Amino acid sequence: MTLLSATDITVLDGAVRLVAPVSLTLNPGEPLVILGETGSGKSLLAQAIMGTLPASLRATGVVCIGGRSLPAGDRAAFRGLWGRQIAVLPQEPWLSLDPLMRAAPQVAEAHRLVRGLPGGAARDRAARDLQALGLGAASALYPHQLSGGMAQRVAIAAARAGGAPIVIADEPTKGLDAARRDDVAELLLGALARGGGLLVITHDLALARRIGGRLMVLRDGAVLETGATSAVLSAPQAAYTRELIAADPESWSRRVAPSEAGQTVLEARDLTLSRGGQRLVDGLTLELRAGRILGITGPSGCGKSSLGDALLGMLTPERGQITRARGLAPTAFQKLWQDPVAAFPRTRPLGQTLRDVARLHAAPPDRIGGLLDRLRLAPGLLARRPGSVSGGELQRLALLRAMLAKPRFIFADEPTSRLDPITQRDIIGLLADLARSDGLAIALVSHDPVLIERVADVTTCLPMQEGRKSARDAAIRRKDRGMERPAILR
Amino acid sequence: MTILVSRLVQAVVVALLVGAATFAMMRSLPGDAAWRIAAGRYGYDNVNVAAAEAVRAELGLDGPWLGAFLQWMGDLFRLDFGVSLVSGQPVIAEIGHQLGASLWLALAAVGLSLVIGPPLGILAGLRPGSLFDRVLLVVSTALKAVPQFLMALILILVLSVQLGWLPAAGYGQPRHFILPAFALALGLAAVNARIARDAMASVGAMPFYAFAQWKGLSRAQVLWRHGLRNVSVPLLTYLGLQFVLLVEGVVVIESIVGWPGIGHALVHAVFARDVPMVQGTALMLGLGFVLVNALIDLLAARIDPRGAR
Amino acid sequence: MTAAVLPRALPTGRILVAAILGLVAAFALLGPVLVPGDPFAQSLMKSLAGPEPAAPFGYDHLGRSLWHRLVHALRLSPLIALAAVATAAAAGLVLGVVAALRGGWVERLLVILADALLALPGLLMVLIVLAIMPGTATGFWAGLSLVLWVEFFRLTRATARATLASPAVQAARLLGFGWPYVLRTHLWPEIAPLMLTAAAFGTATAIMGIAALGFVSVGMRAPTPELGLMMVELLPYWREAPMALLTPVLATFALLLGLTLLAGGHRT
Repeated sequence: MTLLSATDITVLDGAVRLVAPVSLTLNPGEPLVILGETGSGKSLLAQAIMGTLPASLRATGVVCIGGRSLPAGDRAAFRGLWGRQIAVLPQEPWLSLDPLMRAAPQVAEAHRLVRGLPGGAARDRAARDLQALGLGAASALYPHQLSGGMAQRVAIAAARAGGAPIVIADEPTKGLDAARRDDVAELLLGALARGGGLLVITHDLALARRIGGRLMVLRDGAVLETGATSAVLSAPQAAYTRELIAADPESWSRRVAPSEAGQTVLEARDLTLSRGGQRLVDGLTLELRAGRILGITGPSGCGKSSLGDALLGMLTPERGQITRARGLAPTAFQKLWQDPVAAFPRTRPLGQTLRDVARLHAAPPDRIGGLLDRLRLAPGLLARRPGSVSGGELQRLALLRAMLAKPRFIFADEPTSRLDPITQRDIIGLLADLARSDGLAIALVSHDPVLIERVADVTTCLPMQEGRKSARDAAIRRKDRGMERPAILR
Repeated sequence: MTILVSRLVQAVVVALLVGAATFAMMRSLPGDAAWRIAAGRYGYDNVNVAAAEAVRAELGLDGPWLGAFLQWMGDLFRLDFGVSLVSGQPVIAEIGHQLGASLWLALAAVGLSLVIGPPLGILAGLRPGSLFDRVLLVVSTALKAVPQFLMALILILVLSVQLGWLPAAGYGQPRHFILPAFALALGLAAVNARIARDAMASVGAMPFYAFAQWKGLSRAQVLWRHGLRNVSVPLLTYLGLQFVLLVEGVVVIESIVGWPGIGHALVHAVFARDVPMVQGTALMLGLGFVLVNALIDLLAARIDPRGAR
Repeated sequence: MTAAVLPRALPTGRILVAAILGLVAAFALLGPVLVPGDPFAQSLMKSLAGPEPAAPFGYDHLGRSLWHRLVHALRLSPLIALAAVATAAAAGLVLGVVAALRGGWVERLLVILADALLALPGLLMVLIVLAIMPGTATGFWAGLSLVLWVEFFRLTRATARATLASPAVQAARLLGFGWPYVLRTHLWPEIAPLMLTAAAFGTATAIMGIAALGFVSVGMRAPTPELGLMMVELLPYWREAPMALLTPVLATFALLLGLTLLAGGHRT
């Protein structure tokens, strides 16, 4: 017996077809993973099945759930299924909880209004649900007082309170540390008990491996291959799937460092950093040498970015010394940002920004063209603005801009954490090449220990300082733009 | 707590500004001001040089300005506003007399604007871009372009002069409230509606709003349980800022319909160069703004626990 | 807020704004060229008389040509308003950037001052300044500038703080660019559209204020032709000559509507 079957689902934007006819079935006890990169149509496919597509898009095809057969184009028909037949897990749990309501009522209201329990019984059920997820103490907290993992568990309890047998999760590990990924997989697999169904949409190979079941690889809105997850991941048939698996840091070969270490570019001794009264880094000593890559890992909020600011001279250390090698220009110290869009002036064409930099540093006229070739960038991109270039291209343009300043040191702050795996491998590869060929010292920050282990010559793991947990959560929340107060108030 | 401290600082600086401005006003009174004030106080027949000199000395109209200024500010911070130059009554008593009438008018106007504006705004914000949303945009933009005095003028012409339904001026009966309250409320409602509409549209686009529906709640349940609360915070904060607009409206409208309130008195006091009255009234209005906003800060912090951080 | 949340600008909006403001400006500038005349010349014989070629809008209660009085009024308050907005914008822009760049006590003092001014009704401040300054027009200019700079300051400071802390500005500084370059290429493109909105809104506020005070007889003095003053003068003759009163009313509404539309329907 199948829980859900979708037949010939297409998604159209006007006349443009974003998802080709795709069919899938979901069986009790057997998870289905849809794997794909940004723009593969995997989220649109899931939204079409749930009836949550944006109003500007149109879906065709048929979805059968719970013995009822619904045309995918009939959005209103799906409303009755939410909470009762399908539990939809949100992408960003923090933003998915009402900021003005405590955790327990957000679960209880579904028990009462969807399942129809009386108020007292609904509260009891909600308390038990949260208890079962290890959240007993958190039930009276507001979302902004929860950590990311706690918020995710509250969201799962709330989504499932209506009693839906099918769980659909769209990118459930987006923005999570590697360590938390396994917890999420565990929670999702819990949904399979008692004959439930599970559909997971992700770009994350490690998560797919943990979920298991069956796998469907999607690219450009079409299915490339399907099969048992373990079989597809160990013996991929399609070339694209092979490329995708090769791009996973797990499959990278270790970088071989140049045998001869270059001269020291930057040295930090007994460095202690604080920001906003919080001790972030305590007594750190490190040395950066030309041609070498220093890997920096650690949990979110442990002070990785503040360390970068200090090394670049933008944050005064509380204690300790930072020494730059003699004879280097102040502009020989450059940085790559996690979000390259924010690192360029929003309204200026990219070419103009680059030409300004080239002029300031008296670069020869063909320097930009040469770097474009080297970084495999199309010259046509220069006419565009930062918002209309892909993340991978823009990060390479940011690297190009830094190279115009003839850097000796680049602090790369999570430069690929928002990029797809194949693009990530390209960018990291470029950085490693530059370190070798141009004798650059690079500090590479990543939350992915595997990536650092494969690429870095030396690794520093920043521990979370005592008493920093609440501050860490605050820092993460600040990065969630949606949790800020509405723009009207500012 | 820090919110209240910053409101306290605001109150002190407001008092300083009002003190400095009215001191400058006092010093710039034309030469025969003492004579004129004495005449206003004792009647033209009873003015003599001695009376004018007494007034001059009392007000510190001559002499070094620094000492006079310090004394002026000292009086202000002891809440000693002196007596009205026109009526000779203590300023505090005069204001106490007029405040009630203005408060009722202001409350009626705010109440009316809240009944009209936010419900329409929320309705529009639930479906951004719909026909209703666009019609409301046009209507509220047009209403915002009508200054309050012009609104009062139009209402007087239509409702009292042409149709004869309402008295154009007067005070004391409930029907006297209708015209000035509407003249004030329509402009406020136009802006309220926009704020509510934008707040609702942005709340409606938040992931938590969609997630509440995915949990299985109906549209009405989601609006009631998650929409209104979240819309109320920006709306409340805006209401606090709107207080200034309201006060300006009250000042002008009271003068037009002859409402015996603080605004009417203020315009009279400015006209007659009755500086102590101007000072007392201005301070009252400025501190009223600070008080209302401090209360709103507290209320908003209760509704939105994030604000306390 | 994302673009999707805001209503799409009315496609006819821009044309409407240009048409309204263009018409009012053309009338104010070209009115006396088309029909020469004097806004102050009285002719009691023509009291409240209807339109004629020498006075296309008819006459007021003192027999003065409404066409010429309106031309004068539509030059006077927009001119004062624009002067006040220009002063306020310049002051707010400079102080806002200084506050964001310097921080510390400079910023704190400016913010406290701006917050306190925000608590005082603008019209009240204008009234007090009018009582201090010798001339009425200069008094309005000074008072309105004093009230209006706060909005420009707040907008500039908020935008500058956010922009100056952005990775884009950090990158520019690391690359060796000086503050003039940063202000020109990073800050100004972010601030300029806000300034336009605030300027249109401030001009409307100023014109409303001048008219409101004129209407309650504490602004411009007779016989100066001013929008609010004209309305209050013609109000008693509503029954005899409704069009005479409606002329300044409609002109004021058109002017303010144009400016409100220019400021964008969603600004508060």
